[in-house]
Amino acid sequence: MLMESRGTPPDVASAAVGEGAVAIQDLSVRFGSTQVLKGISAQIARGKVTALIGPTGCGKTTLLRALNRLHDQRPGFHLDGSILLEGSNIYARGTDVRDLRRRMGMLFQRPNPFPQSIAENVSLGARIHGLWARGEVKARTEGLLRDVGLWEAVRDRLGGTPFMLSGGQQQLLCMARALAVEPEVLLLDEPTSSLDPHSTGRIEELVASFRGSKTVVFVTHNLQQAARCADEVLFMMAGEAIEQSPVRAFFDHPGDERSRAYLEGRTA
Amino acid sequence: MRFLGNARGAGGDAGPTVVPPRRRLADADLTGRDRAVRGALLAAALVPTLMLLFLAAEMIREAIPAFVYSGTNFFTGQIFTFGNLYITKETVHHGVLAPHGASYGALPFIFGTLASSLIALLIAVPAAVGAVLALTERVPAGLQSSLSIFLELLAGIPSVVYGFWGILVFGPLLAKHVFPILTELGSVIPIFRGGVGGGEGLLTASLILAVMIIPIIAATTRELIRTVPILAKEGALALGMTQYETAKVVTIPYVRRGILAAAILGWARALGETMAVLMISGNLLNGFPVNIYSPFSTLAATIVAMLDSALTDATGMAIHALAAIGVVLLVITVATNLIGRLVIRRVSGGAVLPVGRGI
Repeated sequence: MLMESRGTPPDVASAAVGEGAVAIQDLSVRFGSTQVLKGISAQIARGKVTALIGPTGCGKTTLLRALNRLHDQRPGFHLDGSILLEGSNIYARGTDVRDLRRRMGMLFQRPNPFPQSIAENVSLGARIHGLWARGEVKARTEGLLRDVGLWEAVRDRLGGTPFMLSGGQQQLLCMARALAVEPEVLLLDEPTSSLDPHSTGRIEELVASFRGSKTVVFVTHNLQQAARCADEVLFMMAGEAIEQSPVRAFFDHPGDERSRAYLEGRTA
Repeated sequence: MRFLGNARGAGGDAGPTVVPPRRRLADADLTGRDRAVRGALLAAALVPTLMLLFLAAEMIREAIPAFVYSGTNFFTGQIFTFGNLYITKETVHHGVLAPHGASYGALPFIFGTLASSLIALLIAVPAAVGAVLALTERVPAGLQSSLSIFLELLAGIPSVVYGFWGILVFGPLLAKHVFPILTELGSVIPIFRGGVGGGEGLLTASLILAVMIIPIIAATTRELIRTVPILAKEGALALGMTQYETAKVVTIPYVRRGILAAAILGWARALGETMAVLMISGNLLNGFPVNIYSPFSTLAATIVAMLDSALTDATGMAIHALAAIGVVLLVITVATNLIGRLVIRRVSGGAVLPVGRGI
């Protein structure tokens, strides 16, 4: 297993894999007068990888970003319905958004390391959340960089800028940064869309290694990738959840005509 | 590799190392009118360069006698006096003739110019960056533009108005209510010790200068902050950082060198500011301010303050001396401007912080 689960509450750690870690209930999102998500309900299974797929513009990324409240500052953002993380509504008044975002790590379409040193990219979040004691920063940073497979490449330039790394290495650094704050859920927004095949493979290996310990929501445009990595598929179209199925069932016997059309490259 | 169109489509064999020629009309394609326009534009483009060269040359020519007369005393002496302009007795130094007792030591002015502008910079940079961060990150978009307008209006207020306000309202207010509190700092920082005077002096002038250069720094900083990729900030927010932490970890590091360049541009402005400083400097001659509240003078203010009496010097040396002060000011200002522009060019050159280069 990749991460020790120090920050995870014991009841969550002992809760069964496969049950709903995140419950999306009748979720609608609009920006101003543009309705982006229309009454989505879905269960994101704990400890599994759920792929969000669907045509461009169907609202996958909007849904993903609703999960860690990244839309909050967007002008005109309006949300109806609820999202429950381990049973509590994350949009309820009084929710600690900082802690919510710590519990929901995120990787973006393009790597976005901080303009800080490589070591600080990994440790800053954990230090800000008060997770690491001063004395363990170095060892923990090294541990995370080893976990993502970046240690050998950066061990001699931990104090250097991350922007000299390749795109794939930068994304792995962002993964280490996300893992440092010990999230329960990882939100991956097409994390490999700008990466070379080798780095893509590395990210996919990491995602596979999270199985059982972390809940992963994986937005991807690449159907093969969804088939390789996911346990569950949530297929979306035009802001609606069309179908949620186990991955094999989805690709072998899509339950909806629109899913079938999408998989066959037809426009329904 | 970029392909910039070649007008004729000729020579399509540009190899990977050959930079494609910039699109340009051959002379043969130009009509007489085109040539006339091109000539006029070229002349217009040359005007600023020629103006600067001409100005510098004239100032230096005018200043040379004073530099010769003073020697190094110009840069090290503290006594600046035109001498006795009412008797015919004269002094000769290094073969140059000046009124009896004339001494052109400009060090206090050089000091005053640098000190007031640097203190102004110390105040203005954090204030401007803070204001811009508040504007761009916290204030809703609708309010943002109207508040920005006020920031820009600050830049449009004539400096004589600042000076007038400074001497009538701001200076006395500071001397009465603020400076006495600042003297408490005197136990730690010696320059805050001592009498506070009536509000005409180094700190008042620096504060006014700060207000005058905040719009310059703020406008540049705002444009820089707009170039920070949203994705980079979202990385910090998604990690649970507050807006303050996001600014500290992402936004400010991205624009740090740009802010430095903006500060240098603001500094150049503060160096040359004349009227407001003249009105609230207290116009100290022949010495250095004893603390941060006391009167002082700058290169620019001295030229204005002493021009009138300089014109009465029959030997003409007083004018040469003021011209020499002008040359020093010109050199300092041009140098800071050039450095600022160099830094900006390096910042916007793209080599600094490419985000997520991908493959």
